[in-house]
Amino acid sequence: MMPCIAMGASSYPNATSKANFTVTSVSRAVKNQAPVSGVVKDETGSPLPGVSVSIKGTTKGTRTDGNGAFTLNVAPGDVLVFSYVGYVKKEVTVGSQTEYVISLDPNPNSLNEVVVTALGVKKSEKSLVYANQVVSGDQLTAVKTDNLMNSLNGKVAGVDISPSSSGVGGSVKVILRGSKSATGTNQPLYVIDGVPMTNTSNANGQPTGTYGGSPDGGDGISNLNPEDIESITVLEGASAAALYGSQAANGVVLVTTKKGKTGQATINLSSSYTNDAVSYEPKFQNEYGAAAGSDESWGTKLASPVTEDNLSDFFRHGNNLTNSINFASGSELAQTYFSYANTTANGVEPGDNLQRNNFTFRETGHFLNNKLTVDVNTNYINQKIVDAPGEGFYYNALTGLYLFPRGESILPYKENYAVVQPGRNGLLTQNWDANEDVQQNPWWITNKNPNYANRDRLIVNSTVKYEVNNWLNFQIRGNVDRVADNFQQDLYAGTNSVLTPGADGSFTMSQQVLTQMYSDFIANFKVPLRGDFKLDGLLGASITDDNTVGTLYGAGLGLSIPNVFTEQNVVTSETGGAGANSNVSTLPNNHSQVQSIFGSVNLSFKNWAYLTVTERNDWSSTLAFTPNESYSYPSVGLSFILNEALKLPDVISYAKIRGSYAEVATPVTQYITNPINYLGAGGSVNFNSVYPNPALKPTDTKSKEAGLDLRLFNNRLTYNFTWYKSNSYNQFIQYTPEASTGYSTGYLNAGNIQNSGIEMRLGYDILKSSDFTWNTNMNYSFNKNKIIELNPSAPTTPVVLTGFGNNAYESVLVTGGQFGDIYGYKFERSPTGQIEVGTTGAPIANTTPQLLGNPNPKFQLGWGNSFSYKRFSFDFLVDGKFGGQVLSMTQMLLDSYGVSAASGAARDAGGVAINGVNPSGQAVTKVDAETYYSAVGGRSGIGEAYMYSATVVRLRSADLGYSVPIAKSVIKSIKFSIIGGNLIYFYKKAPYDPEITMSTANGLSGVDVFNAPTTRNVGASFTASF
Amino acid sequence: MKKINFIKYISTGINTFGKCALVAVCVIAFSGCTKNFEKINTDNSGVTNSQLVPDNNIIGLYYPGIQQNIFGEENDYQLCQNLNSDCYSGYYMSPDPFRGNINNQDYSLVDGWNSDVYTLGYTRVMGVVQTIEKKGTRTASPDFWGIAKILQVTAMSRVTDYYGPIAYSKVGQGATTPYDSQQAVYNELFADLDTAVTNLTAYVAANPKLTPFAKFDMVYAGNYAEWIKYANSLRLRLAMHIVNIDPTTAKAQALKAINDPGGLLTTNADNAGLTGYGYHSPIWWIGTSWTDLAVGASLTSYLNGYNDPRESKMISPATSPASIAGQYVGIRAGTPVSAKPGYTGYSLPNFTTIGEYSPMIMMPAAEVWFLKAEAALRGWTTESAQTDYETGITTSMTQWGASAGSYLTDNTSTQANYVDPQTPSTSAPNASINAMSTITIAWNSGATNEQNLERIITQKWIAMFPCGGWEAWTEYRRTGYPRLFPVVVNNSGGTISTALQIRRIAYPSTEYTNNAAAVAAAVTMLGGPDNGGTPVWWDTNKGQAVPKNF
Repeated sequence: MMPCIAMGASSYPNATSKANFTVTSVSRAVKNQAPVSGVVKDETGSPLPGVSVSIKGTTKGTRTDGNGAFTLNVAPGDVLVFSYVGYVKKEVTVGSQTEYVISLDPNPNSLNEVVVTALGVKKSEKSLVYANQVVSGDQLTAVKTDNLMNSLNGKVAGVDISPSSSGVGGSVKVILRGSKSATGTNQPLYVIDGVPMTNTSNANGQPTGTYGGSPDGGDGISNLNPEDIESITVLEGASAAALYGSQAANGVVLVTTKKGKTGQATINLSSSYTNDAVSYEPKFQNEYGAAAGSDESWGTKLASPVTEDNLSDFFRHGNNLTNSINFASGSELAQTYFSYANTTANGVEPGDNLQRNNFTFRETGHFLNNKLTVDVNTNYINQKIVDAPGEGFYYNALTGLYLFPRGESILPYKENYAVVQPGRNGLLTQNWDANEDVQQNPWWITNKNPNYANRDRLIVNSTVKYEVNNWLNFQIRGNVDRVADNFQQDLYAGTNSVLTPGADGSFTMSQQVLTQMYSDFIANFKVPLRGDFKLDGLLGASITDDNTVGTLYGAGLGLSIPNVFTEQNVVTSETGGAGANSNVSTLPNNHSQVQSIFGSVNLSFKNWAYLTVTERNDWSSTLAFTPNESYSYPSVGLSFILNEALKLPDVISYAKIRGSYAEVATPVTQYITNPINYLGAGGSVNFNSVYPNPALKPTDTKSKEAGLDLRLFNNRLTYNFTWYKSNSYNQFIQYTPEASTGYSTGYLNAGNIQNSGIEMRLGYDILKSSDFTWNTNMNYSFNKNKIIELNPSAPTTPVVLTGFGNNAYESVLVTGGQFGDIYGYKFERSPTGQIEVGTTGAPIANTTPQLLGNPNPKFQLGWGNSFSYKRFSFDFLVDGKFGGQVLSMTQMLLDSYGVSAASGAARDAGGVAINGVNPSGQAVTKVDAETYYSAVGGRSGIGEAYMYSATVVRLRSADLGYSVPIAKSVIKSIKFSIIGGNLIYFYKKAPYDPEITMSTANGLSGVDVFNAPTTRNVGASFTASF
Repeated sequence: MKKINFIKYISTGINTFGKCALVAVCVIAFSGCTKNFEKINTDNSGVTNSQLVPDNNIIGLYYPGIQQNIFGEENDYQLCQNLNSDCYSGYYMSPDPFRGNINNQDYSLVDGWNSDVYTLGYTRVMGVVQTIEKKGTRTASPDFWGIAKILQVTAMSRVTDYYGPIAYSKVGQGATTPYDSQQAVYNELFADLDTAVTNLTAYVAANPKLTPFAKFDMVYAGNYAEWIKYANSLRLRLAMHIVNIDPTTAKAQALKAINDPGGLLTTNADNAGLTGYGYHSPIWWIGTSWTDLAVGASLTSYLNGYNDPRESKMISPATSPASIAGQYVGIRAGTPVSAKPGYTGYSLPNFTTIGEYSPMIMMPAAEVWFLKAEAALRGWTTESAQTDYETGITTSMTQWGASAGSYLTDNTSTQANYVDPQTPSTSAPNASINAMSTITIAWNSGATNEQNLERIITQKWIAMFPCGGWEAWTEYRRTGYPRLFPVVVNNSGGTISTALQIRRIAYPSTEYTNNAAAVAAAVTMLGGPDNGGTPVWWDTNKGQAVPKNF
């Protein structure tokens, strides 16, 4: 065809299997031609339909049929060339055989060439009309983290990953191309082998306020064993995900798991250990202690301050030990994969421990002459998290630890965290001087406020695929994902009275089983068209049913017998009739069902123009009681392979432009269309307070994207560029109806949230000699979020993600603003900009909350490098998130309690220097440190003074590996590595790591409320194959 | 067009191979299943209306909610009463430096707190009463309707006394609601009480033995005769509120209340207290679990000065700092308290007598005796003002289990000075202050009406502790009594005078967004800026240094 592609292909070093390369110079005319036949299979032994089979040097050829079979008239000595996109081209010289079994290997240099797309459909990279990024399993497992999504951080453009601060096994917040939904989830849909997965945490959910609460127990994706993962494909845009329907408006993370391979039997062992230490600590003063009768460090200067490092007395080194083994083998008829992994992790706070066991068994069988394939994959996961640290003000050991009076040693409170309560026969209470809800003795919390989150999860996924002929196959899939969570929190007698009712301790427990059932039926077809056009596609139907059942055992009125943590010991009624203060409640069923039909057509012209059109119709139970149960949405996209269509300079190996448009509709959350009454305490009924809106409809996300993919210099340089813009209309917005309607809450559809941005990736093989290779790659992404409209009848009313309460922090959506804007108080300033100081001498806060900043990064950069020299390899990844501002309420409290270094320095300097003015108009240049920080710091102080740049640049990971030389042995390979994660902050101005988040839901973004510090991880790993 | 091709090809496939799986799946999945969607989308942890039809639960079970929301649970009570009127009335002051000591207690009005007053009044009481009305209660169960109106008047009279003009007569008639002048609101309140008394009186006459409301009654166990007494007493209270601005209506309504054959609250058995349905005292909760309240300096200064026998029953002595341990010392309003435990050792309510399930008293019988004393003082009745006054005190003593002893004849004791050992400090202004009042306890028929009114209101104020902060603030604004210590720190930014004290609170910002035109008109009716310094309609005293009520 085009000369350049021919050159490109032949100069592609690994594209041709050299072993089979045969030079022939025979004259075809004199040979006798005879038919040969054969089957072409992929690396797993599955037949490969559509493989081009040609006789080298001629135009003669054919393609394999649906069973991978071909027949061709050849002469002995002819060279058959088998080529298929994404696979290494193979040449076979015709000998005396008439039957050939050809096995093609995937092209290792073009991981992207065959891409798993929506519904598990494999497509050629060329035909994709949207951006996608693939991360191989190896990249995920090189430096392990306790939630595998953290391993994607910095590696993929357009993905913003924020680990939660809830200790080992905590959830992670993943946002693709910006937040789109005002009230619904903004996290992507996770899909394992084509089937949607639930990603929920336990019944505690995520914290909703700065007080925090019970820890979340981990999300769904973190349960997986990273060693089971073949690759992860990130589909950021709605176009890529449109076929998945409403759940996928926020993008999709496709997980492809490993399975057995034909003709190979391998055992892989891997073991990795990291030692984790806190990567930063707040800065404290050591000169001033507490005044008598006060628990704040505003006393006089100490003559001889104790310089005990109280934080070191508390924090320990955490660790993470992951061991896994997998067995994979396969014949032509059946392939087997079995794996087991154990993860043991300890957090940096005492007691925090994670134990996880993963079992995977996958069997693939081929029947009826390879026409029928049955694939069953079973995962069992058991996870126990003990003493996950509390986030926010409550149950958080760090509040007491940090606010402890300076100049004193905390050791006596560690050694004797509990003391005997007088007159109670030895019953203990905590040993702590401060009596306030926001702090307790840290060791009391870790020992006497324990929590336990247990999860048992079973995922069974089965696929039956039948090849009718070479242009039609049917596939039926069924999946059950059953997640059983149990959470328990024991609060011993002596715990702060705000946190536990009564004087005898309290007990809370939840038990929840979430069952997701998914089933689909898909017909894949290829329409045999003549000429240059090709048409294929699919038509399918699916049903997804999510159901949660569970029970919540509340604290009631506390315990009857102290410290006996059983349900029957919970006091439920002191007065009143039956059911007064019942502590048992049913968890909402959260039952929802989506039924869908969908179709997709791909039309291509001469291998250089591709058109994809999809349409999907959903019926959602959450829109029952409205006329909008059924809704449909389309997508359309085009791509052109310029190097095949045009004559381009030789330097360009591959050039594609692509563009697409998609709509995705997302229904409202369950039960909103049907508000009902709920039982209250003591037999009362809380009648419905939701203003009924029978016209609710789905949120509609309309997105456009366009992009360019380039490969230059014989594929050594790759470049991808994508521009996108999405608008999410008909946001599901909660509003407060006018008070006199009698309803406290209403819901309506309105608004428009826009995200636009660009993503770029650049990869270059800088060195590629036989001994030394160096590959470098960069990714860049920029997203701009804009709230164009919210409720048009109350345009100035924000949508509140996290409310103020009595705090300095509020996270809102405001028309004209950005998602998650942080509002708080600023200094009241005179017309000339001077800070106004009140009669008490303290700065005055203005009375209405003001915009303080937005925590979302403006752009992100990742820079990865891989070096190999002989048997050594070295990889490192630097990434940065730039722009955005965050608020540190931790610092506000440290200042107001007089424990921070800043409060000490201010006292040394005789006060805080300000440019202020008092009520009589006189200039104020200095304010007493205690007066200043008591007003400006504290829980509800002036947030303006505590905003920090969220820019952070770090050495995300590095690993140095060595492959041991193996002589002939049963052992195929052994590799040792030294690994490290979160190693160096090159730039960080905030007093905490702005990447971590207190909640992985929409609220509490960009605020530090005694978040547990991130850790620096150093360790080693070992892998071996047999 | 492509779709048609699409289907054609698939149909071909189906025909060719006799497979109708697609059709089967479509039929199974779609034809039959969406009819379950309504069942799926109904929360099984709730209660549907049809499940509430038996036993009149569909109407009756609204009442526990309404009754509990007169004061609200601890969260609402704290915002709606404890951190404002409870403080403005001198009863309480929080030892917790909320918002860095910049909040309602020192006159920096927090919008989010003030809006909760609306939520409680409109959403949880008046809105629910309207819901009950829509269910036909007005005509089907006139007795239930009467109770609803009494509860509505109890709650909404407090809302109007907080703000001035409010939405009342037009509530529920549209998406936005015009406000009524406060005078109009009062007329509506009286009319609603007319309905209640008429309905209940008629029901009792026709069905003397029936108590259909008993299951839902958190006050009187279904005894309508008691509800009538409470309604009459409430009318008397509201009548007295407007005596300075509209004496004619005030007198007419007061006499209507006093002369109603149903009678008034007279003994402690009549006290209108809320209990049951798992409702626990928010005062107890805030004081013991949250340790967010202490008693006010004004309260301890009167109780100390009067050597009041009720003092040890009402409040407990301070525990720290050591210099005041064992004494009764409250915290003065607007003190810039240091973080806990700074002021947590000051006097608290006595949580032995004020227990977790002690009734939250909407109106004690003692208050009614003082109202009658004022009516007599004003010459509206021929009763002895002194007798009513003294009966009020003894009724209150009995309520607290205290013995009056020589209290009634004590003609020397007066309010004590207040000393705060923790101020002055480097960062706080001095909270210590001398007594504001010289009024004594014993009735003095030779004294002026003004002096005896101070006596009556001061004793009424003591008798309304611990739940009556809302009413006590109203009466303080109306009469100027008892003489209360001003705030230590005033963070109102000049809108509220420290000496004149706070006169109202500002409308919530949600009304400015949701109901803008109406609230703008309301501010016009108010006759001053929408802040805490503008007096409401009946407030003619406006905090003057020498109150003048006659």
